[in-house]
Amino acid sequence: MLLTEQEAKTITDKILSLVKTGDATVNVSSDKLSHLRFAHNGFLTSGQRIGRSANITIWIDGKRGSSSTNDLDDASLKTMVEQAEQIARLAPADREYLPTLGAQKYQPVNGYVEATANLSPTARAKAIGNILAEFEKSGVIGAGFHQARAQAGASATKNGNFNFERSSVVSLSTTTRTQDGSSSGFFFRSHFDINRLDTMRIARAAIRKTLDGRNARTIAPGVYTVILEPQAVADLLGGLTFGFDARNAEEGRSPYSAPNNKTRLGEKIFDERISVLSDPWNAELPGSQSAQGGLPAQKIYLVKNGKLENLIYSRFWAKQRTVEPTPGPVNTILETSEKPSTMEEMISSTKRGLIISRFWYIRSTDPRTASLTGLTRDGVWFVENGKIQYPVKNFRFNQSIIQMLAPGNVEMIGASERVGSSEGGGASLLPALKLKGFNFTSQSEAV
Amino acid sequence: MNFSRRDFIKTAGITLGALTLPSWVYSAEAETFSAIEVDKNKLADIALSTAKKLGASYADIRINRYRLESIQTRERQVQNVQRGQNFGFGVRVLVKGTWGFAASPNVNEEEVRRATAEAIEIAKANSVFQKKPTQLVPAPSVTTSWKSSFVKDPFDVPVNDKIQFLLKLNEAALAVKGVSFINSSMAWVNEQKFLATSDGSRIEQYLIRGNPTFNVTAIDRASGDFQTRSSLIEARSAGFEFIEQIDWTAEAKQAAEEAVMKLKAKPVEPGKYDLILQPSHLFLTIHESVGHPTELDRALLWEANYAGTSFLTPDKTGKLQFGSKIVNFVADRTQPAGLATVGYDDEGVKAQRWHLVKDGTFVDWQTTRDLAPLIGEKASYGCLHADSWGSVPFPRMPNVSLEPAKENVSADDLIGGVEKGIMIFGRGSYSIDQQRYNFQFGGQTFWEIKNGKIVGMLKDVAYQSRTTDFWGACDGLGGQATYQLPGTFNDGKGEPSQSNAVSHGCPVGRFRNINVLNTAAQTQS
Repeated sequence: MLLTEQEAKTITDKILSLVKTGDATVNVSSDKLSHLRFAHNGFLTSGQRIGRSANITIWIDGKRGSSSTNDLDDASLKTMVEQAEQIARLAPADREYLPTLGAQKYQPVNGYVEATANLSPTARAKAIGNILAEFEKSGVIGAGFHQARAQAGASATKNGNFNFERSSVVSLSTTTRTQDGSSSGFFFRSHFDINRLDTMRIARAAIRKTLDGRNARTIAPGVYTVILEPQAVADLLGGLTFGFDARNAEEGRSPYSAPNNKTRLGEKIFDERISVLSDPWNAELPGSQSAQGGLPAQKIYLVKNGKLENLIYSRFWAKQRTVEPTPGPVNTILETSEKPSTMEEMISSTKRGLIISRFWYIRSTDPRTASLTGLTRDGVWFVENGKIQYPVKNFRFNQSIIQMLAPGNVEMIGASERVGSSEGGGASLLPALKLKGFNFTSQSEAV
Repeated sequence: MNFSRRDFIKTAGITLGALTLPSWVYSAEAETFSAIEVDKNKLADIALSTAKKLGASYADIRINRYRLESIQTRERQVQNVQRGQNFGFGVRVLVKGTWGFAASPNVNEEEVRRATAEAIEIAKANSVFQKKPTQLVPAPSVTTSWKSSFVKDPFDVPVNDKIQFLLKLNEAALAVKGVSFINSSMAWVNEQKFLATSDGSRIEQYLIRGNPTFNVTAIDRASGDFQTRSSLIEARSAGFEFIEQIDWTAEAKQAAEEAVMKLKAKPVEPGKYDLILQPSHLFLTIHESVGHPTELDRALLWEANYAGTSFLTPDKTGKLQFGSKIVNFVADRTQPAGLATVGYDDEGVKAQRWHLVKDGTFVDWQTTRDLAPLIGEKASYGCLHADSWGSVPFPRMPNVSLEPAKENVSADDLIGGVEKGIMIFGRGSYSIDQQRYNFQFGGQTFWEIKNGKIVGMLKDVAYQSRTTDFWGACDGLGGQATYQLPGTFNDGKGEPSQSNAVSHGCPVGRFRNINVLNTAAQTQS
């Protein structure tokens, strides 16, 4: 099913041998996806899909063409190469072309577990069946999604580079609602090792939020102190590291741009306890061993102790600016330089504020300030005098994430944990945050 | 490379005997990928007989090929030209009232047998814990073919013509003083779909859709401010005539001028305004606030874990006042140029047109064969769709469109009745809650209206409302002459998440006394 390193090498060699002239980079990938969707305390859809594909980008006299196929037989690969060559001959010169990389040395990451790749449908049915029974026992209506995915693939260049990687991930998200639809809870976690995913814990966390969220009151929107659970932080900041593009910043169209063709590099943009980094070898959140353009990935800081430490230079833009291309990012980690605070400490230190479980439907409203709008979902609680008082109804927010993390607005930072954005995207390593001010602009009746 | 009649017979299968070969199959360009080497009907026979033998009460198989082409440019250079093709099959089975699915890119007899058995195994494993068996309403058996509406197949147009089109468009924008950047792109999709069901249906479909688009950036380097303006022309189901019949250069020039204007535009003063919403903007408001809440799977909590539920529930059918009396929404999978227009859905139900909201009242739902019985319906409206051979088909939105006024009402007529208002063009930031109630939408350009006249440009505008309040505040619609059919190429829903293309026809509309906020001022914490 999944390609072995030898099989992948055979295919990339075959494709590259078909390239008659010019430079080329090829990718070949295979994956296996197994999924189960449940709702209303019953099974909905479930299936397995195997996939594979190959693609090639060819440059002939600096002119570029790309083609892809999911047929990996000889005739199809030949057609793919011919098509890319045909496009390359027609295209104008690619002014951003740089010769592909020669042989690189990669330091392997450990993000693949065989048991995740070979999940048993029967064992999964039983695990989810147990969760459905728990929903029934608790008197809630539950929905959710379990999926396991394993991937293996390789990239290779005409100039002699070859890189093979495997990865796996399994995740479970659950949403439970009261019978009358007045309260809802959500919990979502993932891991690359299926043995590290506690499905019943995830279900029980959603149930607890649902039951604790009953009889929500209406309070006025406005600026509140907030305690964002890791899920809410992931919804806002998941994949944060990928937004530090140097070219955009230098071209004047990024929140990290400064007037007169300058950038904010070196400026203290976030609270001084905050560091934002990418680390391919993080044990909980392994990234890819290969970064942009096939460069061996390295641990890099985008923000260190609040200061904008690095912007991401693509190979092309780095050459323009005569700097080194950035070997990342490949994942997103936000960590604190101090001892992390617990949720209990955050609550007990709050005079008046809100606990936020999750955000939803987050969209950019102003790229100049990285301003977002969206809504709270699946659990908001009012805190007063150090204690949770009662659940409250949802809000819409409008908030700049740059201002949110700015010096003076971050009160406490929790321990980072692996959590994924609930609107899709991969997992990040993020903490709970207590923020002095967060701007809620209207009420939402939705549950 | 030509697509020969011999190849077609292999592809469509000679067991289709009664099928009249459509003309497009002879002219369709096809590369020598192995996609054309299979006998789909024979594979379908194997899947359906295997499924039946192993205990399925219903089964279907889709054997689909997708061709994709995309070209990206910025300023005076081409960033990438890519062509791709993707071929495979997916088998869906219903066993003891529980669905199972398996899919593979290895389209051969042995793999079809294996995948069918795998789908059965999954369904059986899950059926042990299934308390409410799934039931299907019937669908008439049909053997036919269907082709979407287009004149010139974009996959037959030389790549160089497309590149030159985009670079010319870029030049038009860059010629405007103050413009710093432009990104432009063109994407084309061709779906070649084959469906066989255990009800006896065999359906071949051929669909083409295109998404040319661009985004212009103007920068004031002294202040560090930047503004963008995207194309107001949206994706549609059409061939290359979509490019040839519209003056894209004029649109790029206008976009460039407006991006520069936005740098100096007056920030909006928050407050209540009457809104004149042009079709290039209103279609997305319809998508979010009407298209999604009328999906029956959301109302029945099937999407509770991801996309969300709906403020509409079956008991509100025929009772809830959704909007003002002039508001009529139709769901329509037959509308020419509609991105969700098909001949048949992915379980063999013929495309239809029906009202969701009639004279302001919510009257009906979007349904599939397993949703319809849950509200006592005897037939499906044909809303099942999968975005790939490898995806499980599930309920997706048809084109949902707002009917124009019967009278010949113009945008100027509507503007003339506004004392303090804003006219909005284009799609901007859009966000709506999980039950489709509270929403906030931005746009591309905003024009201040005072005493019935446009007086200048505004910026940083977004409006926020509740769905039924908003549609209840609609007191004027343009006539047929103002009607357009914009669409969105990628609408996400479901788990695993799938993408759907869908259009929303609408005239210009007027909405009274809507809450407007300033997005730049609102973000201060």
